[in-house]
Amino acid sequence: MIEYIDVDVRPILRAGGEPFSVIMSALERLEPGQGLRLYATFKPVPLFAVMADKGFAHSAQALDAGEWEVLFTPAETQQTAFVPRASTFDAWPEPMVQLDNRDLEPPEPMVRILAAAEKLAPGETLSALLRREPVFLFPQLEKRGYRWLGGFSPDGATYELTVRAP
Amino acid sequence: MIGASISRWTMSYFAMALAWLFVALALMVARVGFPAAHLASPDTLVLVHVVCIGWLSLAMCGALLQFVPVLVAKPLYSEKWALPALGLLTAGLVALLAGFLGLGGRLPAWHWLLPVGAVLLTAGFGLIVVDLGLTAWQRPAGPARFVLAGLASLCATVTFGAIFAFAHAGWAGSIGETILASGVPLHAIAGLGGWLTLTAMGVSYRLLSMFMLAPDVDDRNSSWTLAAGVFAITVAVVGGIFAIWLSSGLNAVLSVVAALGLATIALYGRDVSGIFRSRKRRQLELNTRMAVLSFVSLAATALLGVLLILTGAFAAQVGAFVFLVVFGWLSGLVLAKLYKIVAFLTWLETYGPVMGRAPTPRVQDLVAEERASKWFVIYHMAVWFGTLMLLADQAWAFRAASAMMMIGIVGIIREVIRTRQLADVQSPLRLPDGACAPHLLFARS
Repeated sequence: MIEYIDVDVRPILRAGGEPFSVIMSALERLEPGQGLRLYATFKPVPLFAVMADKGFAHSAQALDAGEWEVLFTPAETQQTAFVPRASTFDAWPEPMVQLDNRDLEPPEPMVRILAAAEKLAPGETLSALLRREPVFLFPQLEKRGYRWLGGFSPDGATYELTVRAP
Repeated sequence: MIGASISRWTMSYFAMALAWLFVALALMVARVGFPAAHLASPDTLVLVHVVCIGWLSLAMCGALLQFVPVLVAKPLYSEKWALPALGLLTAGLVALLAGFLGLGGRLPAWHWLLPVGAVLLTAGFGLIVVDLGLTAWQRPAGPARFVLAGLASLCATVTFGAIFAFAHAGWAGSIGETILASGVPLHAIAGLGGWLTLTAMGVSYRLLSMFMLAPDVDDRNSSWTLAAGVFAITVAVVGGIFAIWLSSGLNAVLSVVAALGLATIALYGRDVSGIFRSRKRRQLELNTRMAVLSFVSLAATALLGVLLILTGAFAAQVGAFVFLVVFGWLSGLVLAKLYKIVAFLTWLETYGPVMGRAPTPRVQDLVAEERASKWFVIYHMAVWFGTLMLLADQAWAFRAASAMMMIGIVGIIREVIRTRQLADVQSPLRLPDGACAPHLLFARS
């Protein structure tokens, strides 16, 4: 039975604050085998990829008034650490577009992500599922001023990417 | 920067490599080196090093400068070293070849040219090994481990080669003379088996699974293949040096290496057939279909090796065996992958900046596979015919096979140039607003 440590960042978010450091310091204090129960005022999509890279699977549940409870459960296999480019974590909105590019032949996943990204309004996000880390996509996103978060799911089979328009 | 940018000098490496391949085939058609001359003759040394350094090593280095950052999802340790390395390798090869021609009396006997060539080649390969090694070391998993093993083998190959070069000039003392007298098989095994074959295997794992939409080969499976290969090369190099030191002859060592080499090929065959079985993509692209022909050559190499050993004819037919390894397996695979890599990099360089903003062609629109496949088939048929003619000791028929290989290669080079020039892309899509036509010999950054 996994023990979950509660972290409620709703007060911080309501006050317009930045909860990332609180979440990360709670994460550091976890004992091996412990999980994290997070309460937030929105569905923290970008965090899922970050946590996946740290070896946590997520399951999100909507509460009343648009609030969310997310369980981060430690996976058996620990993934390698991943430092996302977007180090400041703020409230990324729900993705406007969700792409499943897992069964497309390369470089079609990249073509579709760039085409969809160009249609986003400022600040909007898209999410994509891929088989591999899209290494040739990142320089293109960077040149166009997009921010992104990405990481492999704990089983290593799917790469989850969230892209945010500038 | 996270991710992988386009390697600026990969096209330059490929162009230089293809030019050397053309030179090698021209030498074969002109009856310079084996089989017209003895295997150990200076002319054969010229031919072998044009093929192995000029063609295969330069093509492999060019591909790895692009590919290793993709494997480990980290930028190359130093992009700036790529061009100086190409210059050093080219200058070193020219000096080495001039030295060999001097040994054979075709040029004045300036024996210092061989050590000079060796120093330049050591410097060039040294830059490549450090650059790629430090990059691959950041995530030594999957195919990157094969690349690291290949780079270690390259170091062994270069060390042997440098000792030989100094010994030829009389600067390596009696130890150098002894190693030169019996160490040539070790140099060849470390180069063809370790550096070129292990690296090509590693790269092929990722490229095959990527283009056929198959899951990556499980590291637990490929670890056995890698272990067998690394063990074979280690036995060859370390055991071989001991055997030379003890003056016990290389036969025992080479038998163990042959058994381990066969095991490596068998395990690699299992891994590759696993990729083909688990692929999601039924229709195969030209680069994969032509890679299959090189796998056929690899299997034929194993079979030929076993038959020659069993009939006691290996020493007499080692030329035909090495010919099939070099032109059937290694060159076949490198040509197939080079064809795809050029198309992909040209596409990315030209259309990446405007993708999503303007209609762009697909990678497949940059190539004409139907037209190109005949040149590949001609090439492979010629290689197999050439191998048979070497075995049958038919020098003139072998010369005809070499000419046929040259026709195939000229056809492939023409296709690659057309790809680079976007010659097969239809007009409205060819250069959308904001796109810039690529340079033939390098990537604009």
